Amino acid sequence: MVPTAAAVDAFGRDVTNLLGDKRVSTRETDLSAYSRDMWPRLLFAIRDGARLQAPHFVAWPESARETASVVELARKHGLPIIPYGGGSGVCGGTVPVHGGVTVDLKRMTEMSTVDRDSMTCNVEAGLNGERFERALEHRGYTLGHFPSSIYCSTVGGWLATRAAGQMSTKYGKIEDRVAGVTVVTGRGEIIETDELARASTGPNWTQLIVGSEGTLGIITSARLRVSLQPSLRLLRGFEFEDVTAGVEAIRRVMQRGLKPAVVRLYDEFDTFVHSLGSNHDNGAYGLDPKRFAPAPKPGGGALPAINRRPTEADDGGFFGRLVGSLVSGDRRGSRRALQRGLVAAALSRPRLFNTVAGAVAERLSRRGCLLIVGLEGSRIRTEAEAGLAFAELERAGGKNLGEEPGRQWLEHRYAVSYKMSKVFAQGAFVDTMEVASTWERLLDMYDAVKQAIGRHAAVMAHFSHAYSEGCSIYFSFAGYGETRAESERIYDSIWREGLAAASRAGGTISHHHGVGMLKAPMMATEHRDAMRIFRALKTTFDPDGIMNPGKLGL
Amino acid sequence: MNQAQRKQLVEELAAVVGREHVQHTPRALREIGVEHRDGDAPAWWLRPGSAAEVSELIRIAARERVAVIPVGTLARAPRADAVRKRLCFFVDSRRMDHVLHLDETSLIVHVQAGLTAHALETILAPRGLTIGDYPPSALNATIGGLLAVRTPGKSSPRHGFLEDAVLGLSAVMADGSPVHTRVAPRRATGPDLARALCGCEGTLGLITSVVLRIHRRAESRLLDAHVLPSFDAAVSSVRLALREDASPAAIRVYDGAEALAHLGEGVCRRGEAVLVVATAGPTDLAAVDRDLVASAANAMGGRPLGAGPAEIWWRRRTGHDDGPPPLAAALQIAATPGNQMPVYRAVLEAAESAGAAARAHASRFDADGAVIFFAFTQRDGEPLDDETLARIVDAAAEVAQAAGAIPLGYTNPEVNAYLVSLRQQLDPHDIMNPAALTR
Repeated sequence: MVPTAAAVDAFGRDVTNLLGDKRVSTRETDLSAYSRDMWPRLLFAIRDGARLQAPHFVAWPESARETASVVELARKHGLPIIPYGGGSGVCGGTVPVHGGVTVDLKRMTEMSTVDRDSMTCNVEAGLNGERFERALEHRGYTLGHFPSSIYCSTVGGWLATRAAGQMSTKYGKIEDRVAGVTVVTGRGEIIETDELARASTGPNWTQLIVGSEGTLGIITSARLRVSLQPSLRLLRGFEFEDVTAGVEAIRRVMQRGLKPAVVRLYDEFDTFVHSLGSNHDNGAYGLDPKRFAPAPKPGGGALPAINRRPTEADDGGFFGRLVGSLVSGDRRGSRRALQRGLVAAALSRPRLFNTVAGAVAERLSRRGCLLIVGLEGSRIRTEAEAGLAFAELERAGGKNLGEEPGRQWLEHRYAVSYKMSKVFAQGAFVDTMEVASTWERLLDMYDAVKQAIGRHAAVMAHFSHAYSEGCSIYFSFAGYGETRAESERIYDSIWREGLAAASRAGGTISHHHGVGMLKAPMMATEHRDAMRIFRALKTTFDPDGIMNPGKLGL
Repeated sequence: MNQAQRKQLVEELAAVVGREHVQHTPRALREIGVEHRDGDAPAWWLRPGSAAEVSELIRIAARERVAVIPVGTLARAPRADAVRKRLCFFVDSRRMDHVLHLDETSLIVHVQAGLTAHALETILAPRGLTIGDYPPSALNATIGGLLAVRTPGKSSPRHGFLEDAVLGLSAVMADGSPVHTRVAPRRATGPDLARALCGCEGTLGLITSVVLRIHRRAESRLLDAHVLPSFDAAVSSVRLALREDASPAAIRVYDGAEALAHLGEGVCRRGEAVLVVATAGPTDLAAVDRDLVASAANAMGGRPLGAGPAEIWWRRRTGHDDGPPPLAAALQIAATPGNQMPVYRAVLEAAESAGAAARAHASRFDADGAVIFFAFTQRDGEPLDDETLARIVDAAAEVAQAAGAIPLGYTNPEVNAYLVSLRQQLDPHDIMNPAALTR
């Protein structure tokens, strides 16, 4: 649905009358900024100097009512609507494929006091994740939702994509923390979906809206379940002989009914890379394993202050540093050229790289696989649960490495790269793929996806977000292409073959990043005949098909 | 449809499910709660044995525009006036009672929708597995029925809501085609499409099988009881314990009168309340949860009663008590945590002003609230006659709702138009349980 010029003009007049010219923009800088999110594939085009499809307008409503009025106008004039939060998505979920109006919710940032009886908090969708968590923390609560994007994502974005935080094993994914949402549907109506003590009849509308990535409507606020700030946090590292042993250990912990806040198992290569970046030369693994980690500092919560000065870790971890060496400016010409040539050569031969790197990692690290486990909550229960979890991990063959590996992880877990463009400028790319399955199929899926990605890129993985019935696997990969076309071909092959491998192995194609445009071609494979239910929802909520077109395979 | 066409239809139905599973006499229909009155359009009680047979039946229904009304174990299917003039297929899922796959590595089970939760428990128990700490009274229904009809109470603080344990399901849609949602622990691939079918009461599709999360049986189960100065203090202590991460298998609060009726004389004084709790899991954790509840009760002015009263409750809950049952609750009402006490007080006052007495217990506590069960008697404790009881229940329900209670079966009016539209999309001929939900 490409809007006509007349429709664009008419909408522009009406929406400016509605919001005023300060809250509607057609400035080139704004339109350009809102033409993409953090989907790595779009950086290939930017590297090539190509111009991305931009929205015709960016609008900043300040209430659900105003949002509904914008939707009504878009319906009237036939303009696509793209909801926008922090722009931190990595699947192209906010790309305005046909232009239209991008509705940025970041002026909707109110939150209520926490209802101590129901332990819920009403919060508007545009509130930044860090600010929300800090405000809760100040009042003695936590949402327990700590995605690595927390500093640059919004509550609405989390709900739209079914996001997960690093401590989801205890607190659940965002869909487990939501009691109800207020949504402006594609009909321009405002509805609330609260469940009211599950006495309501009919489908669970909250769970039908959450995850719809703006294709059914715009979530403008939500009632989220909160917990008391933990009074104790206990962290440990364990070493397992291999991935199989580590996975089995996690399964045993989860199926005893224990709920660690975090459990992460790094495969051999990722364990090796983890050890390179963690400054373990102080013998940290030798710390007294019996010593408990201190309770979270008052006011400190689980959210560290963001590091203002970039550190090595800010370069995107191992792959970031590896690829970053391609663009290092402090090397002499010949040395730099040699280094760049070596890295490019390595990433251009991913099968060889993966084989060699895996063998080297195994030989050098001799640490098997590292598992990080952390528990938090009320003191008495956390101590008891941690005792049981640590004992179970040891019974499963884990060697207790003490608290330092966990502490290292906690301190560096937000060290994601915000400087990817330099990496991409040189033709290399890095990205992540998060899939999930039941325990019975998990290792088959791990092998299949790793092999599929490994044909095209250097790849490593860790297992996190565990449940009693299964777990997610997070693959990180780096590839290289001389030209935009080659980079895109390799990138597309990785995703096509990686997701197909996950699906064939019985897994799901996305655990918490969402679908957007990236995985849209796989939606029919993922949901098969159940897609007809989604299409019926689409027609019901968005009869004119204006809501975020081109996403989720609709 | 004339006589010959009906005969042909019966032959066709018999060819799908077998002649013995096609019934249409008024006497047969009465077995599933359907009173066939003079002038009613013909109806058939059909008992398919597989999802494929359900598909075939619904294809026939779609072709002939026959209403399809699901029948389970507990759900009687009184024929609503709206469908008395329509041909009806009452599709009984109870022959579809097989475990299709048990994955003991992942702790998931794939079951046909007609298996009762109780029967599934019986199958799982010898393997040291369980469906979860759900109220035993809810387990007599078929799995399909439990999921198709949303009511509170199918939950426990430890294992959550039953519908949250659904990892995937299969259903037959209004055109007879099957749909299967992919099994995954969690996903981020659009809305949770299984949730469109859970709670839809067969209006969007008929659930034929479900993949459910199951659990290992608890290593220990501990019981405990406390007496609290008031119902308010007891309910508050439950909330306090849950806030502190306690995760009991079950927890219940009796007001003084109800405690005396259920747990015996001397357990507390009138005006006081009794809290009973069961915790389960690894022994250390079960003990911690028990202690967290004890601490909360203590903080609210409670004193320990020991396990005795809780054992009486637990025996009755699990069907191991053959003593006379206490007076059944006449009014069940859900209330969010903040509304529980206003609702409780309003109902007691309504009964008082009607010259009767009310007593209550609160149970099925979960993240969204609890269900309060009220029983009504004369002031001297003698039973009320049916007419008076009905009048008091109506009055009590009215004041309870005014105080913020949620009647079971509440429909959110804001989403009703969307459900109507969704039904039109998925069931254009309006054959799927047409009298339910939006009518």
